[in-house]
Amino acid sequence: MRQNKRFSMEQKKARWGWTFVAPSLVFFLVFSFYPIFNAFYMSFFKKNLLSLKPPVFVGLGNYSYLFKSSLFWQSAANTAIFTVGAFVPLLVLSLVLAALIMSRRRFQKLIQMILYSPAALSSVVAALIWLLIFDPRGLANQGLNTLFRTSGVNYHWLSSTGMLRLSTIIVYVWKYVGYFTVVFVAGIGAIPHSLHEAALIDGADRWKDFWHITFPLLKPTTLLVSVMAMIQCLKTFSTQYLFSKAGAPTRPIDVITLNIYNTAIKDHNIGRASAMSILLFLVMLFLTWLQFRISKTEEVSYM
Amino acid sequence: MNAAKTKSSPARRLADILIWLFLIGACALVLIPLVFMFTSSVMPAIDIMKLPYPWISDHIHWQNFWNGLRGPEGTFIFLRNILNSLVVALSVTATTVLLSSMSGYGLAKFQFKGRNTVFMLIMATMMIPFEAIMIPLYMVVMRMRLQDSYAGLIVPFLTSAFGVFLMRQFLLTFPDEVLDAARIDGASEPAIFTHVVLPNVGPAIATLAVLTFRSQWDSLLWPLLVVQSEEMKTIPLYITKFMAETHSDEGIMMAIAAMASLPMFILFLTMSKYFISREGLYSTTKG
Repeated sequence: MRQNKRFSMEQKKARWGWTFVAPSLVFFLVFSFYPIFNAFYMSFFKKNLLSLKPPVFVGLGNYSYLFKSSLFWQSAANTAIFTVGAFVPLLVLSLVLAALIMSRRRFQKLIQMILYSPAALSSVVAALIWLLIFDPRGLANQGLNTLFRTSGVNYHWLSSTGMLRLSTIIVYVWKYVGYFTVVFVAGIGAIPHSLHEAALIDGADRWKDFWHITFPLLKPTTLLVSVMAMIQCLKTFSTQYLFSKAGAPTRPIDVITLNIYNTAIKDHNIGRASAMSILLFLVMLFLTWLQFRISKTEEVSYM
Repeated sequence: MNAAKTKSSPARRLADILIWLFLIGACALVLIPLVFMFTSSVMPAIDIMKLPYPWISDHIHWQNFWNGLRGPEGTFIFLRNILNSLVVALSVTATTVLLSSMSGYGLAKFQFKGRNTVFMLIMATMMIPFEAIMIPLYMVVMRMRLQDSYAGLIVPFLTSAFGVFLMRQFLLTFPDEVLDAARIDGASEPAIFTHVVLPNVGPAIATLAVLTFRSQWDSLLWPLLVVQSEEMKTIPLYITKFMAETHSDEGIMMAIAAMASLPMFILFLTMSKYFISREGLYSTTKG
């Protein structure tokens, strides 16, 4: 009797477990799994966004078109340039800033708050501010002219190919350097004090302490931040979209997300946009897999 | 510590000064664009484009804020767009918090067949970037005839895998005895969830709420796809349109930017510990 009651109690609990989980599960089936399978499926078809005609099967046609299209390679290259160009300075700057902040005894929190504050801004607002700064009469030219003691030199922040790419990278680094600094500060803070003290007693100076104690123990955090930053950079859209809307030449900053958006919404070519989405997905899948593997080994043992 | 102190030398003091200069310089560089936004939001456009930039204007030009709210056609559509952003961000935050904590609770505190499979499935969706599924999602929303509506803006973000993960991790350590005691007292399962579980997971909910609100307030790509009419635009879309119009007044532009950022700055200053929390840092949210 008692066994029976317990059994039914377990069953009841299991039912409640399902009840609590079900809404989210249904949501993810409809709004995550279905769309990604649909994107994969549509990438083998020719389909116009607006026409009511059924999609036409074209096999690998969309992919082979993309691999031959210079516009696609251009946007792949733009994305790669942006990703590498933004994530290397992000990584180096945030690591240096975090190490310096942790070497101070005062104002640690305040400096972190200040550096983090642009991340609280929406990316559209960030792009808007920087558009005015990069204006030919704006602060960017004024600043460089003061620095180099020149007058009236225009650096073409929003018109020459290289400078335009640099401008989008500057906006991104400005917005996220504080965020990654805070991640590094957390990583450095997790290293036990006893290790630093032991090093100092052994006669190490602060530089040696950083180089031989902090830096090696930060390796998992560094790897994690690199992958996180790379994934973030691959998804960049707002800055490039707003800059091109404001009249900057699109080609140098036509990143892959912008290309997907334009292919689907302006050209109505769902098949080609889906094929690009799948390629982006595969690259990010690889990086996310890397991130998960790293976060698993992130719990370092200090023994 | 003592060993370090006794070694204090001129070289070390110089290094200290250099480190402070570097940190202060970095903070200044980060703050300049923000200061620029606030100072030029109260300047007439002619002053903003003056060479060199006058950091402090002779008189405060508050009209920018009024004109920004009024809009070029005098329709006050920006107010409606602010309202839209608030409706969408608050709805998404509410449903995400509710559904994520329900599912996190189910996964953490109940034994049932297939529980691990469900958890792995939900975690797997974190690997699907929003950018890769936005076009099929758009077609789903079109088929449901939800384009250009609040529902269309809200429905694809009702819950988040990161939220489920966060709440599950947090609830794993929730004491079973408390739940069992409530069951023995005759409380129903939904009552236990709303009266015992939810009031005790405040910090996790605050983190999730802040991050969800932030990502929705910032969202550009999805509204760009779904919204067609001026009335349904959110703040990022309004700013995009305003900026693309040639000869927009720079002062008004910055006033709009300042108004759009104000809620986030208030949230950031009052809830900074939830922004700069370990969980918050590793989130990968949609959009």
